[in-house]
Amino acid sequence: MPKDNKNKTFNIFPCGNTRREFVWEMGAGFSGIALASLLSADGFFARHSKAAEQDTHNPLEPRNSNYFGKAKHCIFLMMNGGPSQVDTFDFKPELRKYANKILPQDKKYINSGGRRVGYLTPNWRPFRPGGQSGLLISDYFPNVRKHADKIAVIKSCYTDSHAHGSALVAMNTGSTFIGRPSLGSWSVYGLGTENQSLPGYVVMLDKRGGPISGQPNWSSGFMPSTFQGTLFRPSGNPILDLKGPSHLDSTAQRQQLDLLAKLNEKHLNERLGGKELAARINSYELAFRMQSETPEAVDFSKESQATLKMYGVGQKPTDEYGRNCLIARRLVERGVRFIQLYSGGGHLEDTWDGHESIEKNHGLHGKEVDQPIAALLTDLEQRGMLESTLVVWGGEFGRMPFSEGKNAPGRNHNPYGFSMWMAGGGVNGGSNYGETDEFGFEAVINKAHVHDIHATILHLMGIDHEALSYFHQGRKETLTDVHGRVIKDICS
Amino acid sequence: MMFSKCKVLLFCIMQITGATCASKTIPDFDEEIAQLISKRCLECHNQRDLKGDVNLATSKGFQDGTKNGKIALKLINEGKMPPKSKGISKKLSDKEIELFTRWIKGGANWPKDRVLDLYETTNNVRAGRDWWSLQPIQRPKPPYLKMNPIDSFIRFKLKSESLTPAPQASLRVLVRRAYFDLIGLPPSPEEIDHFLSDKSPNAWTKLINKLLASPHYGERWARYWLDLVRFAETDGYERDKLKENIWRYRDWVIAAFNNDMPYTQFVREQLAGDELQNRTEQSLIATGMIRAGTWNDEPNDPADYVYSRLEDMVHTTTSAFIGLTVKCARCHDHKFDPILQSDYYRIASFFWAGPIGQANQGGPSKELLGSNAYGWTDLNATPKPIRLLHQGERDKPGPEITPGFLSAITALDKPLSPPPPNSKTTKRRLQFASWITNKNNPLTARVLVNRIWQNHFGEALVRTPNNLGFKSAPPNNQELLDWLAAEFMHPSANGGSAWTIKRLHKLIMTSETYKQDSIHPHDDKYSALDYSNQNLWKFPRRRLGSEALRDAMLSVSGRLNLKAGGPSFYPKMANEALEGLSRKSGDWQTSNEKERSRRSIYMMSKRSRLLPLMTTFDFHDTTVTCGQRDITTVAPQALALLNNHFVHTQSEALAKRLIEISKDTKIQIQTAWKLTFNRNPTDNEINQALEHLNTQQSYFDKKLESNNKTNNNPIHLALSSLCHVLLNTNEFAYID
Repeated sequence: MPKDNKNKTFNIFPCGNTRREFVWEMGAGFSGIALASLLSADGFFARHSKAAEQDTHNPLEPRNSNYFGKAKHCIFLMMNGGPSQVDTFDFKPELRKYANKILPQDKKYINSGGRRVGYLTPNWRPFRPGGQSGLLISDYFPNVRKHADKIAVIKSCYTDSHAHGSALVAMNTGSTFIGRPSLGSWSVYGLGTENQSLPGYVVMLDKRGGPISGQPNWSSGFMPSTFQGTLFRPSGNPILDLKGPSHLDSTAQRQQLDLLAKLNEKHLNERLGGKELAARINSYELAFRMQSETPEAVDFSKESQATLKMYGVGQKPTDEYGRNCLIARRLVERGVRFIQLYSGGGHLEDTWDGHESIEKNHGLHGKEVDQPIAALLTDLEQRGMLESTLVVWGGEFGRMPFSEGKNAPGRNHNPYGFSMWMAGGGVNGGSNYGETDEFGFEAVINKAHVHDIHATILHLMGIDHEALSYFHQGRKETLTDVHGRVIKDICS
Repeated sequence: MMFSKCKVLLFCIMQITGATCASKTIPDFDEEIAQLISKRCLECHNQRDLKGDVNLATSKGFQDGTKNGKIALKLINEGKMPPKSKGISKKLSDKEIELFTRWIKGGANWPKDRVLDLYETTNNVRAGRDWWSLQPIQRPKPPYLKMNPIDSFIRFKLKSESLTPAPQASLRVLVRRAYFDLIGLPPSPEEIDHFLSDKSPNAWTKLINKLLASPHYGERWARYWLDLVRFAETDGYERDKLKENIWRYRDWVIAAFNNDMPYTQFVREQLAGDELQNRTEQSLIATGMIRAGTWNDEPNDPADYVYSRLEDMVHTTTSAFIGLTVKCARCHDHKFDPILQSDYYRIASFFWAGPIGQANQGGPSKELLGSNAYGWTDLNATPKPIRLLHQGERDKPGPEITPGFLSAITALDKPLSPPPPNSKTTKRRLQFASWITNKNNPLTARVLVNRIWQNHFGEALVRTPNNLGFKSAPPNNQELLDWLAAEFMHPSANGGSAWTIKRLHKLIMTSETYKQDSIHPHDDKYSALDYSNQNLWKFPRRRLGSEALRDAMLSVSGRLNLKAGGPSFYPKMANEALEGLSRKSGDWQTSNEKERSRRSIYMMSKRSRLLPLMTTFDFHDTTVTCGQRDITTVAPQALALLNNHFVHTQSEALAKRLIEISKDTKIQIQTAWKLTFNRNPTDNEINQALEHLNTQQSYFDKKLESNNKTNNNPIHLALSSLCHVLLNTNEFAYID
C-alpha cells in the first residue's frame, strides 16, 4: 500500500503549494530570478541562508512588489498605553447629553483590571475642524490638525485584548500571544531594505522605558532574526555593539580587519566551495561601514536650525520625540524600510495610559508629540517624500467613554473601539472611515480589526497580505492569519 | 425507488455504449473518480463537514446533493466549485472536467456501500493513512555487508548517483569535530596531543567513549531538547515572572543525557512523572516540560485562554515526540495529514485534567503536587468531559470526546483505560507516554533518530525535524532512517540497551560517513549535482551556534567556569539593551564575573529580554517548539564580535593567559593558534601576527602617550588585539 510518496510530492510542485519540497529535491538545479523571488516569498532563503542562496541572494536585498503600493517606507507612531479616542480624533457631542449617566446596561465589556466604573464623560478638550476637509481633531493635537487634509482617520478600530501586554503584541504582530513576527518584520521580509549599511527595521523607544511585553513587540518570531526590529537610540551610537573600547579606534580596527581578511583568505583558499565562508567575510566589510554610517544617521549637524526648531529639538517637552521624528525622516532618506517610534514607555502615566487623568496625561503626551508629528508631515511633504512614506498613528487600544468613578478624571482601557490614522503613501487624506456608537464606546460601522489595519498597511506598501507567507511547521503563515481585509476606502 | 430507476437507466446506457467504446469511455470509480472527488471536493463535503449540506462521501449523498451530478457539472463548469480561495480560482482543469463529465454522463456509477474517506490514501493534495511515516518501521537490510550499516546505506545511494565520498578528514580535524559535536567545547592542546599520540587502532572509539562519559556531553545535548520544549525561565508578557525552580528541569534534562536515560523513560517522566508508581522528586521535576511555555497572567478572556494553553501543550508534545503538526486540527480536520479534529481533542484531553486555569502561574499548588518542583499534575482523577469545539471556538461546543490517540495509527487506536480506583490523577498522560513509546508507534523512533542525525550533520535525513507529515521534506534516505529507528528500538547483537542515545552517537561517529573531510576534490562538480549535499558526499561544515561560540571563547580565554547546574546566572546586559524592558534594570541583577563565565546553557533566558549576543547568533525564539535553529550570516553578528564587551573581555583574558605562559612573543603566537584553532601557525601567519603586534603596539603607544599606561599596557593591548582577531576568524567560527 505505501506508495512512492516522494515522487508524488515532488511532481506536484507546479500546481501545488510545495515549493520547498521542490527545492529540496532539486538542490542546485534551479536558476532565475523568478523562482528565486518565489522561494524567498516562502521564507526559503531566509531559513536556509547557509545553502545556495547565500552567495546568490541576500535576504535583505530590496525587492519590488508587482502590486499596487505607493509607500516604500512606513513610519509607525506608536502611542503606547492607549490614547482616548473621544478626546482626540473621534468627536462624540452626545457625551455631553449623557454626561454623568452610566453606559447603558446592554453594552457588554470586560472591565480591565477590575477598576471602578464611573460615568460617561465628554471630551476634555474641544474639537475643531482642520484643513479643507474640516476633519474634527481635538486641542490635544492642534499642530497635527493643520495637516487634516493629509490624514485618513479610522474611527472604528477594535482589537482582541484589554490588557497592555497582549494588546501591544497584537498591534505589532496580529496576535495577542507572543511569538509571531511583527509588522516591521513582515515588511522587511517581503520588501527587503534599500540600505544594507543600516538596519531595515528600526524601533525607537521612549526614554522612560520599553513597551510592556518587551522584545516580542519587535520580534521576528519564527522567522530568522535577520528580520527582527533593531533598537535604535537617538544619539551617539544608535545601535548596540557599534563601538568597541576606545583604544580600538577606526585606525586600529582597520589593522585588525586587514589581518582578519588575510587569515580568512588563507582559510578560504584551503576550502573549495566554501561559499558560506565568503559570505561571512563580506559581512565584516558591511559591519565596518555600518559603524560609520549608522552614527551619521543621527548626526544633526547638517540639519538647519529651522528644521530643528520645527521638530522642537532642544525645546521642552518636544525634544525627545522631535529628535526621533527627525531621525525617522533621515532614516527614510537613507532607505530604511520600517520605523516605529514609541511615545510613552514603562507603565501608567509614563505612557498614554490615562487612568488618573486624561487632561493631565494626554496634555503632557500630546504636547510631547504633536509638534514633532506635524513637523514630520511638513518635512516629508516639503522634501517630496510623503507620497512614498506611509505614516501611521495609533495605540494598542482606546479608552472608555466613561470615567473611573464619580468626578474621576481618568478613563480605563477599551479594545472595542478606538481611532488610528494614516497619512502619506497612497492614503486618501482628509477622510474619515468607520464609526463608533454614539458614546464612542464600540466600533459599529465599517469595523476595522487590527488584522484589517495590518492588511491595509501592507497593501499600501505594495504587499498582498494573503500572498506574503512564510512556511513554518507545516503551515503557510501570514501576518493576518486567515483574516484581514484591506480598507480600500482610505487608499487613493 | 429512485435508486433502482437509475440503475436501470445506467444499465441501458451501458448496453448502448458498451458495444462500441467498451469501458474506456466510462471512467472507473475506484481508479479515477474516487481520487478526483477526494482531491477536489471531499475536504468540504465529507461525512463530518457538510458544507451546503452536501456529502460527497457516499453514493446517496452524491445523488441527493448534486441531483446525481447535474448540479455538480454546472458548478464545475462555471468554476464556482471548488470555490475561489483567497481570490484565486480553483477551477478544475479541462482534463478533470472532461473526466468527471464522462463519468456522470456514463451514469455516475458509484459502487454500493463505497464510502469515500478524506484520508483513505495519499494523493497530491494530502497524506492518507498510507503516508510513509505512519507505516510500521521495518528493518531494511543494509545493501553492503561488512561495513557500518550507516556507510552501507549512504554509499549505496552515492553509488547510484555516481558520487564518491570525500576522503577521511585529518585526525586533527576529527578531534576538533568530535569535541564540539559531543560536548560543545574545543579540545585543549594537551587533549589534542593525547589523542594524536594514541596509536592504538581503537583510539577514535576511545575518544568518543571519553567524550560521551564527560558531564559536558549533557550540557551540549540537553540544549537541543530545551529548544524543542520551548524552554525559558520566565512567563513572558507584562509581568514576565520568573518560573521559580524551573532550572531544575534544565538540570534534569542534562542529567538524563549524561546518564543515557532510556528514551522511553525520558518521555514517560516528562509527560507523567507525577503519575508513576515509583514517582520521585526528579520525576516530578521532569513534568516541568509541560508548563515551560509562555503564560499570560492577564489574558483577554481566561476561559478562552485555557484552550490556548491546551494548544501549546498539544503542539509542544506532539511536535517534539512524534513530529506531526497536530495543532493544525484544533479548528478543523487537518488539511494535509490524516489527523481528525477529534484527534486533536483526544490529545488535548491528556492535559485537560490539569491546572490549565489561572491560579499558581498556571500550575498545580505545592500542596497538590506535593513538592516545590515547578511541575505538573492533574487536579483530580475525574475531570469534566472535554468537548470538540467547532472552528475551535468555545461558544460552539461539539460532541464530547473520549480520550484516545491519533486515529491514523490504526494498530494502536484504542480508547484509554479509566484510572484505577483511588487514583489522584487520570493516568491519561501516563497512557499517552506508553502510546508514544510503544514499539509499534511508527513515529517516535523515526523522529528521534532523525533529530540525533541532524545534530551531528547539521541537517536531518528528513529536513523538517518537527514535521514528518505531508508538508515535510521527503526523506533523503528512508532506508537509513528506518534502519536507525529499528536499531534504536531493537539493538542488534552486542549493541547495548534499547532506546539509548549514546549508542546512536557512537554508531554515527564511528561511520566513515561521519569521518569524511568537509572538502571534496570534486566539490564544483558535485555541488552542481547535489548542492545541498543531501547524499552526504562530504561532511557538512558547521558554524558554531550561539552557545558553542560563547562557550568556546570562554574556554580559549581560560575564563570558563565549569560549575554545573543550579540557578541560572544573569549575564551583563548593556544598558541600551535593558531599555527594552518596561521595568528597566530593576528586573535584571547582573551576576558576578565568575558566575557570568559559566556555560551558556546556564544563562537566564528571560522571555522579554534575551541577551542580544545570543539572539544575534540565532538563539531560538522560546515561545514555540524549535526543531532546528536558523543559521544566518548577517552584519550585526560581525558587529557583535568586533565590539561586544564580552568578546573584548575574553580577548584580553586570552592575551593575559598567553603572557603568563611565556614572555616570548613567538611562543605566545604559537600558543594562541593552538588554543583557538588547535593547530600551529604557518610561518607566514607568524609573520602576519608579528607585524600586527608591532603596528598595534606602536599605535597604542602613541595614542596612549598622555594617558596612564599602567592600566593600558600597549604590549598587552596589542596582544589582545591579535587575540580579538583570532576570535573573529572563520576558522574559529566554523567546524570542518
